[in-house]
Amino acid sequence: MNQENQKIELQKRLKHYRISVAEYEMIKSLLGREPKPIEWPLFSALWSEHCSYKSSRMHLKKFGKTLNASVLNAAGENAGVVDLGYDERIVFKMESHNHPSFIEPYQGAATGVGGILRDIFTMGARPIALADYLCFGEISVTPIGLQETPIGLQKSTAGSETSTTGNRMGFLVDGVVRGIGGYGNSVGVPTVTGQTNFDKSYDKNILVNAMAVGLLRPGEKVALSAAKGPGNLVVYVGAKTGKDGVHGAAMASESFDENSEAKKPNVQIGDPYFEKLLIESCLEVLKKDLVVSIQDMGAAGLTSSSFEMASKGNVGMSLKLDQVPIRDSSIQPEEILLSESQERMLLICEPKKIQVLQSEFEKWGLDAVVVGEVLQERKIELWWKGELLTSIDPYPLVENAPMYDRTFRAWTAKNKVIDKSQLQNEDISKKKYTEKLFGHVQFTSRKNIYRQYDQRVGLNTVRGADHDVAILRLPDSGRALGVAVGCRPHLMKMDARIGAQDAVYYPALQLALRGIKVVALTDCLNFGNPERPEIMSEFVASVDAITESSLKLKAPVISGNVSFYNETLGENIISTPAMGLVGLGPEDASFINGGQIPQDVFQHSGNSVYLVSSAKVFIGEISKSQFQYFGEPDLNAWTELVDAFTALTRKVEISASQMVGRGGLGWTLAQMSLGNYGYKGAFAISSNELWQETLYQAVFEVNETESKKFEIFFQNNKIEFKKIGEVQADILALNDGTSFNLKECKKSYELGLRGSIENLA
Amino acid sequence: MKKTAGKIGVVRFPGSNCDQDVYQFVAEKNYTPEYLWHLDHFDLKDYLALLLPGGFSYGDYLRSGALSARSPVMNSVREFANRGGPILGICNGFQVLAESGLLPGALVKNARLRFIDDWVNLKVENANPFWAKNWTGDKMYLPIAHGDGRYYAPADDLKKIEDGDQIWLRYVENPNGSLLNIAGVMNQKKNVAGLMPHPERAIFDWMGSVDGWSFL
Repeated sequence: MNQENQKIELQKRLKHYRISVAEYEMIKSLLGREPKPIEWPLFSALWSEHCSYKSSRMHLKKFGKTLNASVLNAAGENAGVVDLGYDERIVFKMESHNHPSFIEPYQGAATGVGGILRDIFTMGARPIALADYLCFGEISVTPIGLQETPIGLQKSTAGSETSTTGNRMGFLVDGVVRGIGGYGNSVGVPTVTGQTNFDKSYDKNILVNAMAVGLLRPGEKVALSAAKGPGNLVVYVGAKTGKDGVHGAAMASESFDENSEAKKPNVQIGDPYFEKLLIESCLEVLKKDLVVSIQDMGAAGLTSSSFEMASKGNVGMSLKLDQVPIRDSSIQPEEILLSESQERMLLICEPKKIQVLQSEFEKWGLDAVVVGEVLQERKIELWWKGELLTSIDPYPLVENAPMYDRTFRAWTAKNKVIDKSQLQNEDISKKKYTEKLFGHVQFTSRKNIYRQYDQRVGLNTVRGADHDVAILRLPDSGRALGVAVGCRPHLMKMDARIGAQDAVYYPALQLALRGIKVVALTDCLNFGNPERPEIMSEFVASVDAITESSLKLKAPVISGNVSFYNETLGENIISTPAMGLVGLGPEDASFINGGQIPQDVFQHSGNSVYLVSSAKVFIGEISKSQFQYFGEPDLNAWTELVDAFTALTRKVEISASQMVGRGGLGWTLAQMSLGNYGYKGAFAISSNELWQETLYQAVFEVNETESKKFEIFFQNNKIEFKKIGEVQADILALNDGTSFNLKECKKSYELGLRGSIENLA
Repeated sequence: MKKTAGKIGVVRFPGSNCDQDVYQFVAEKNYTPEYLWHLDHFDLKDYLALLLPGGFSYGDYLRSGALSARSPVMNSVREFANRGGPILGICNGFQVLAESGLLPGALVKNARLRFIDDWVNLKVENANPFWAKNWTGDKMYLPIAHGDGRYYAPADDLKKIEDGDQIWLRYVENPNGSLLNIAGVMNQKKNVAGLMPHPERAIFDWMGSVDGWSFL
């Protein structure tokens, strides 16, 4: 080959493996030679944005300072373990599956759920809850590069027929929802809460984030992933390896273009039945102490699990790739290394225990195959039919991945007005507009989505997805565990700092209204192209805001995930740092048994309705989806509000309560009137004040005997409150003089998303 | 060991996911639960009754309940049924009993072809001599969670079921398109029964209803 040809060869290779010239130089100097053919895919996978966090790592380090004494085993594992006392510990994490879900919604979402569940039970914790955070584009938009007609729909266990929706976005919503349900329902983990947003910025790049919560009951041990003990066996358990998902990690690390459709073969296919068998069998072998360490095969499959286990344990590993169970005889070693076939685990087992281990898995119909052994020296040997393909130190691949200090600017306030009187509001006083809200995709009931999820399997669910936040009962102590997700895209669009603070505080306040104090956070940071300074600036501002909020609330960030390159043909999504929160209720188990947790909707005619404010930021909507604000966020005041709300439910009986959110006080009162009782305003409040969103306000319904206590509580806490009306049967008469036919409103609300997307449940 | 009212077998298939819930329910009711694995044969004398829990046994491959109905443990279950032993199938357990021919009819895809999780009101059409036999209330309030819950049988069979007082429970508002609003049926001898709703998920106030408590 002449030099010119060699150059072209190299260019092709770099492009194929998505490795930059600078990275190639780094590889050469690390190895002291040219990479061998089998090493290219290793670097490609482990140094992808998805696996190495190369654009975000230097900023994510800030989360480290939020960790406190309640977090165990944080370093190097999938997630930190939070000690709740009484030897009850939880572990949770949220992860994105945006790219696959846009290409193939059912399998994309399903395997997203499968992946996050494996992250949890690989730590020895039984998954007890799932939550999801979804962002879709405007209904009735056909994204580029994708066919109108549904393609590649898989037969599901939970009833999947070919979608008949005419528009692609409706098809995506339906597919994602069925995928989440199809997987979660089958494995028997309840989906207890979630959030669904619609905005045109997600037209060409939807967000599918799944969160799983696992519980370690008293006496159960945390399982770790670091490989240990030279001579120990490396055991492969689970589904056979196919060619699905090869280069998946690299795919998730670049932007979409017109050819996205061609990426369909990169999307993995999941089988929840296998996952269920894996959950039960893995938890059993861990309980019987048959395993030294364990790791799921997630992004970059066998490569990342083996290299990470060895690197963390500071040992080596010899792998016989030809021993890996395969379902396609034409599969090549490179594909075995990179395959993202689902439902697979890698275990380290002592030789003397291997037979018992294998018979345990056999009971569940699973093969546990020895594919290698642990070596003293820190090197990975890859063998293929007796030939040593390479011997390479895993440490530099895992720990010395490139780290980029992408250009960003210090955060400056966006869309801020100096004078409150400048704060404009679209003319939202019109009754017609308000009536539309009940059926509007942004505001209407999500019942058509969440009723496709099993919310009660496992017998821990106290409040499911038809409530603002989910509440589970911890089976041993009987205490309440709250689960909530956050991030409101309209606020992120307005200002990344306030939006990210709100992504933590809004759900924390929602939990507090139910008497639950947030104890820890997970994040799933969905952003556009990090090589664009304006995106990177929003990323850094968000990480800083989350860190600051986490510290104020003393709720550490125990795990996280970054999804960059949510960009299609140069258009980026709204920066969306989705948060997952878990909180703990009072010590007293009677909190759940006594039924004293406030409801979401009005409970009784004649009860007083109060508005409580710690108003710091006032938001105006200038035109459709264009927001501006006045004021400064005050995290101290908001933290006091969280503490006050949490304490309130322990002292005063609250009939119902809700945070004021998008749509302002008016919409909150309307929503609280969608149960069996309505509302009548006591005095005039201007339309602007009624429909303008304010950070933060909350509405409370209190009965006559508790009113005095309620007022004294807020007087003592020096928090502003006023009685604004009372609960009445059958009417909704707001404080700006508008009144509504509740029956019609309810009808429209209950039709929910089916009004826009026909084939939902 | 705590003295209990006797042993109840909980049949466990790979893919069952309400097995642990049903096990817990049995224990809460002061019986001794015991798992019966899908490959097992067991001594019938040992058990007061059998429960077949919900889930996605064998991954719902082929049809929900189809493979489980043909698993080894079902030989013992069938024998237990023939001797008059009480058996209850819940959700997927109901599907298994229907597939095995121990109960009449079939459970097919919900009318809207989507999984449904919701609360339903039920009417007891004919009381069962074993399960919820002491129920005296008007409407039962229980949760459902299924994709294949639409009760179906040919017209002739439906008539026989109705005439034989084999309809156990009916939905007050039909959620899934079940014929004759059927939520639960019994065999002719009434010792084998199945229902789609989940009584084990409604046994404490904090769950939203206690109507399931009466089933055992």
